[in-house]
Amino acid sequence: MAAYPGMSMGEAHRRITEYLNRFSDAVSNQDAASLRFLLSLSSNSPFLLSLADALNTFQDSGRLIKHSDHYSQFSDILFNLFRSLQTYRLGNLFDSYQAFEKSANAFIQEFRNWESAWALEALYALAYEIRVLAERADRELASNGKSPEKLKAAGSFLMKVFGVLAGKGPKRVGALYVTCQLFKVYFKLGTVHLCRSVIRSIETARIFDFEEFPKRDKVTYMYYTGRLEVFNENFPAADNKLSYALTHCNPRREANIRMILKYLIPVKLSIGILPKDWLLEKYNLVEYRDVVQALRRGDLRLLRHALQEHEDRFLRSGVFLVLEKLELQVYQRLVKKIYIIQKQKDPTKAHQVKLEVIVKALKWLEMDMDVDEVECIMSILIYKNLVKGYFAHKSKVVVLSKQDPFPKLNGKPVNS
Amino acid sequence: MEKDAKVAAEDPKVDLFEDDDEFEEFEINEEWEDKEEGKDTTQQWEDDWDDDDVNDDFSLHLKKELESNTEKS
Repeated sequence: MAAYPGMSMGEAHRRITEYLNRFSDAVSNQDAASLRFLLSLSSNSPFLLSLADALNTFQDSGRLIKHSDHYSQFSDILFNLFRSLQTYRLGNLFDSYQAFEKSANAFIQEFRNWESAWALEALYALAYEIRVLAERADRELASNGKSPEKLKAAGSFLMKVFGVLAGKGPKRVGALYVTCQLFKVYFKLGTVHLCRSVIRSIETARIFDFEEFPKRDKVTYMYYTGRLEVFNENFPAADNKLSYALTHCNPRREANIRMILKYLIPVKLSIGILPKDWLLEKYNLVEYRDVVQALRRGDLRLLRHALQEHEDRFLRSGVFLVLEKLELQVYQRLVKKIYIIQKQKDPTKAHQVKLEVIVKALKWLEMDMDVDEVECIMSILIYKNLVKGYFAHKSKVVVLSKQDPFPKLNGKPVNS
Repeated sequence: MEKDAKVAAEDPKVDLFEDDDEFEEFEINEEWEDKEEGKDTTQQWEDDWDDDDVNDDFSLHLKKELESNTEKS
C-alpha cells in the first residue's frame, strides 16, 4: 500500500514531534486522560491515524525520539508504540501486536516507578488495547492458516500487570479492571478455569477491599463470576452475583442488562422464581417465554418443545442443562394440578393419586410412560422433597402428605 | 462441561474462541445513579406464581382429559 503522497516530510516531522511533546507533557503533568488518549490505538482517532501516516512517511522516528531529553527517556515505549501504530495502519495486526506488547512492557516498567496512582486511567487503556489488538492479531493468524496465540500472550501480560497492582499502595484499585480484562480473555479462549487464581486473589487477599473498587468494575466482575457460578451450578451464589450486577448496572446499558438476565433467568427458575413477561419482552429474551409458561402450567410438553426449539442458543450459552433440570419442577406442578383437580371433585380422596392418572396426563402431553416409569419419577420427586408422600406400592398409588404435599423451593434450588 | 463437549464435537475450533456474551466496556468515567435495592426486584420477578388456580386453559384441558374414559391411542 503506497503511503500518503499527500503528506510532506515537514508535515510528518511536525506531527510526530507534536505527539512526542504531548506524551512527555502528559507524563510531567500527570495527566492520565491525555496519556490514555495517546495510547488508544484501536480508537482510530483522526489524530492517531494521521500520526500513523506521518510515521510511515517519515520512516525514521527513532531519530526524532532521541532528539530531546523530554521524551528520549521513554524511547522504548515510544519507539515500539510508533511501530505498532505504523503496522496497525498498514493492516498488519500481528506485527502491530508484537510491537505494542513491547511498548506496553516498557510502559509497565515506568509505571512501577510512578509512586502515586495518577496513571491508572492510562494503564486501563493499555490493558484494553492489548486485549483488542491481540484478538485482531489472532484473527489475522487464523485467516492465514496459522495457530492463534496472541490473545493467550495478552493474558500473560495482563497477569503481570495484575501483579504490579496487587500491592498495598493506591494503585491496587486498578486490579479489578485488569481482572475483568482477564476474564474477557479467558472466556474468549474458553480457558475459564484460569479465572480461578485471579478470583482467589481478589476475594481473599487482605490488600483488597472489594467495596473500594470502582462500581463499573464491580458490576463487570459480578457478571463474570456469576456466569462461572452458573457453569458450576452453584445457584444461590449465581443468584447473588448476577443480581448484584443487575441492580448496580447502568440502567441505560441495555445490552449489558440483557446479558446479565440471560444467565440470571435460568438461575431464578431453578430456585422457583419467575421473570415477569415485560422483562422478557423489554430485553428480548423471548426464548425463555415458553420455559416460564411450562413451569407455570406444569406443561412438560411445552418445556420439551421450548428446549428443542432453542437448543442451539441454550447450548452456546451453557444454560441448556440448567433448563433441562427444570423438568422436575414442571412435574411437581403437573402433579399438583392433578391433585387440585381431584380435590375439587372429591376432597376426601384427593390426597391419593393413582399412578395411572399421571400416566394418562403424561400421555396427553405426548409423553409415553408406563406405570413403572411414573413410579420412578414420583419417587425422585419425593426423594428431592418436591413431593411429600409415600407409595402404597401394591395399589400403585401415591399417598400425599395432608400438609404441604408440594413444598415450595423458597429460593433454594432443588436438592441435588 | 458436557455442554461444551457437545458443541465442540460438532465444530472443534469455531466455538472455543468466541464468547457471545462479552460484557460491553463501561466508559472510564461512566457514572450512573444506583437503583434503590429491592425497588425493582418485586416488579421484575414473581415468587408467588405457584398458586392453586386451575381455571386456566391448560388446567381445564387437563381436567377434561382426566375425566375422559375413552382410551386414546
